[in-house]
Amino acid sequence: MSQDAVRLLPADGSSWRLEAYLGRGGYAAARKAVTSMAPADVIAEVRKAGLRGRGGAGFPAGLKWSFVPQGGAGPRYLCVNADEGEPGTFKDRAILVRNPHLLLEGMVIAAFAVGIRTAVVYVRGEYDRVADRLREAIAEAEKAGFIGPGLFGTDFGLDVIVHLGAGAYICGEETALLESVEGRRGQPRLKPPFPAVVGLFRAPTVINNVETLASVPGILARGADWFTALGRPKDCGTRIFGVSGAVRRPGLFELPTGTPLRTIIDDYAGGPPEGVSIKAVIPGGLSAPLLRAEELGTPMDFDSLAQACSMIGSAAIVVIGDRTPIIDVLQVMARFYAHESCGQCTPCRVGTSWIHKAVSRLAAGQGRPADLDLILSLADGMKGRTLCPMGDAAALPIHALVTKFRDELDRAVAR
Amino acid sequence: MVGLSIDGRAVRVPEGTNVLQAAERAGVAIPHFCYHPALEAEGNCRMCLVEIEGLPKLELSCSTAVREGMVVRTAAERVVQARKDVLEFLLAEHPLDCPICDKAGECRLQDYYDAHGLFPGRFFEAKERREKKVAIGRGLLLDRERCILCTRCVRFLRKVVGTGELGVFERGVRSEVGTYDATPVANNYSGNLVDICPVGAITDTDFRFRTRAWFLHGKPTVCPLCSRGCAVVVESVSGYPLGEGERRVFRVRAGDNPAVNGPWICDLGRAGRRDIDENRLTRMVKAAAPGVDLSWREGIAEVAARILAVPGEERGARVAVVLNSFMTCEELAAAGELFLDGLRLAKVYFADPAPGSADRLLLTGERAPNLRGALEAGFQPRPPDLDAIAGAEVVLVFGPPIGALFTEGVLRRTLASVPAVYFFGSHAGPLDGLAGLVFPMAVPAEKSGSFINVDGLRQAFGRAVEPRPGVVAEGAILAALARALVPSGGGADVR
Repeated sequence: MSQDAVRLLPADGSSWRLEAYLGRGGYAAARKAVTSMAPADVIAEVRKAGLRGRGGAGFPAGLKWSFVPQGGAGPRYLCVNADEGEPGTFKDRAILVRNPHLLLEGMVIAAFAVGIRTAVVYVRGEYDRVADRLREAIAEAEKAGFIGPGLFGTDFGLDVIVHLGAGAYICGEETALLESVEGRRGQPRLKPPFPAVVGLFRAPTVINNVETLASVPGILARGADWFTALGRPKDCGTRIFGVSGAVRRPGLFELPTGTPLRTIIDDYAGGPPEGVSIKAVIPGGLSAPLLRAEELGTPMDFDSLAQACSMIGSAAIVVIGDRTPIIDVLQVMARFYAHESCGQCTPCRVGTSWIHKAVSRLAAGQGRPADLDLILSLADGMKGRTLCPMGDAAALPIHALVTKFRDELDRAVAR
Repeated sequence: MVGLSIDGRAVRVPEGTNVLQAAERAGVAIPHFCYHPALEAEGNCRMCLVEIEGLPKLELSCSTAVREGMVVRTAAERVVQARKDVLEFLLAEHPLDCPICDKAGECRLQDYYDAHGLFPGRFFEAKERREKKVAIGRGLLLDRERCILCTRCVRFLRKVVGTGELGVFERGVRSEVGTYDATPVANNYSGNLVDICPVGAITDTDFRFRTRAWFLHGKPTVCPLCSRGCAVVVESVSGYPLGEGERRVFRVRAGDNPAVNGPWICDLGRAGRRDIDENRLTRMVKAAAPGVDLSWREGIAEVAARILAVPGEERGARVAVVLNSFMTCEELAAAGELFLDGLRLAKVYFADPAPGSADRLLLTGERAPNLRGALEAGFQPRPPDLDAIAGAEVVLVFGPPIGALFTEGVLRRTLASVPAVYFFGSHAGPLDGLAGLVFPMAVPAEKSGSFINVDGLRQAFGRAVEPRPGVVAEGAILAALARALVPSGGGADVR
């Protein structure tokens, strides 16, 4: 088995085609799981590997699978979250474009482990060309017998449906995604019940991010111990760090979890351009509270970032240089959440809009001294009080930005 | 049963009860907008958040099921702060047009602000401008600025009626309730949208700008417009701000009777408001002397004398009575005693509205409330036999429905040959001009008594509105008639 088979993104220049994927050892892990392992053992292996969700929340994947009730004759579904709406994030796109069979193989393994026969890949509307690539890969896999009925000579089979979103950030929230697949307005459901019990079309459903599933074949091929040897004890393996903003070489870098933020930015992304110094870094997509330059030593794993009062989220690193006024960052942030709030629950619907209105006034030079405290207090009014995690996703980064860059903002208001 | 503690009060409730309901059982009212006991919890208003021991975040009381030993605090500082914050968010984009809002006085937003808010405003931005008068269906106007997007209306139409005419469109702060492709709300339960709207977003054109909620006196009764027997509340104003002695019914809204209608009523029953106030007969009229004031007692004396003028042995065949199933069980029992047992009349008929079509929810095909009461009182209700009535010497007609069964011309021809016709009716109709005496009668909302509904359930009700002076109920008429016709001592044989 070549080294490439366990990398989420193949080497530059290598093909996404099935033939090339097979050349990299592809579908061997799925074959192994389906033909020689019990479903419970597959779940146990993934749990042992300590694979945490790569979409943002970081929920242990194997544990999630184990929540689906065993037995029963009804259908159960696998939903792949390829909505990738978190600003700054572009890693799932790369997997879908450059290594779609890795995702499909991960899906086959997950479906086998949980007893699922139908999978839906929910691809964000803006990725319609990307979805075409995925459809092509599915057709290849179906033709070769890696997807469809009777896989690897067993009676296990998996059908894969590609479902395109229509451009709403909220549909990346797993229950809003389910509503959207069901053909309804994309807005989150009340939990409990959780999707593992009542999910798509009220059937038990596993929802995993693209990168999470793409990490599964490696675990099955090389074993959980190999995976846990990479990264941090409670957040194992590698993940794709997407770096954008004020760096010389923006891009995707697959590194062990726990790699320090500074290493990723300086050693891999080439550091800030000439004459620019780093003012702040968003470590895990826009919803991850930003870090100041002096916090760049933070290791990029769940627990370390939680300790820094931020989160690793989607591991999308946005570097903000010292030439960018922080009020501009705040305004972009506020506009995004006000635009993307689904409007279902009060604190998020009004809170995001109110903050955006106040920030816009501030940015237009019509701020009042009390405005920054007002924004903090509105964020407090949203935090932990909304129907879905988007309230926190909006409130926390705004709160952190205003708190950490209060001096600069105060000066901006006074001007 | 599950035992838990709410604000230090121990309460035991059935398994599956939510915390909000359990708190109500314990006497603790948790404020809420979107939750409605008859609809699935949606948890969008965020007003009912409470503290549950052992859980880090505040939890929704509307969607959290009780657990044994649960310790709930509804007055903790952070709970009160969360309520304030939700109110502030809702009021930020609210037009605050209470002075011209029909809901003022019975508005949850007002009530909760009074109880939990009372903070100065911090919203200095431009409010969203939205449409304030969207016609979403028959008699319904939607004010999108007042709407707090609780989606009770949307869920009611989807889950209860099943017609689903309303949905939420757009997103974020621009979210709004609307109809699909302007297809209006069109079903027999649309009036409930006004009842369940916690604010003044959906108003009823029949009530809009007519009065203020705080002038209304609501009293429960049973809807008389079909045999379902739904609980309704009749809301009226007597005196101020109307003229002295004036009385008007402004609204009939749903009562709450889990055994019959839950919290809903149909639009037919709601429109029963008009039956109470409009087109009413309010004074005795003697055809021979229309300008003369006459009391109903004098009228009854005349009726009794006319009946007694028919020779005793002939009365059974020559006195005809038309009754109806709008009469209460008590009235029907009295009518049975007098007309069947006492006078032994052969010509006793029932004039009820023609059956309509039933719907899946509440409305039955029988458009009268007490057919089973008539059976219980010993009647075998049969429709009026016009030939038999035409051959009678004295005819007593109770109730206006006969006017809907036959044309005025037919009635006129039938009654032309009858020497004495007496009409006991609540509403003006073709019989007014054909009867020697017209008695102004009470409608069910002005009576107390009981009805037996389509499922055999007997429901007693009290008087919901005072009848106008001079208006009399069948009960009094029948009692007076019985006194005049049946000698004291109660002997039944008056032949």
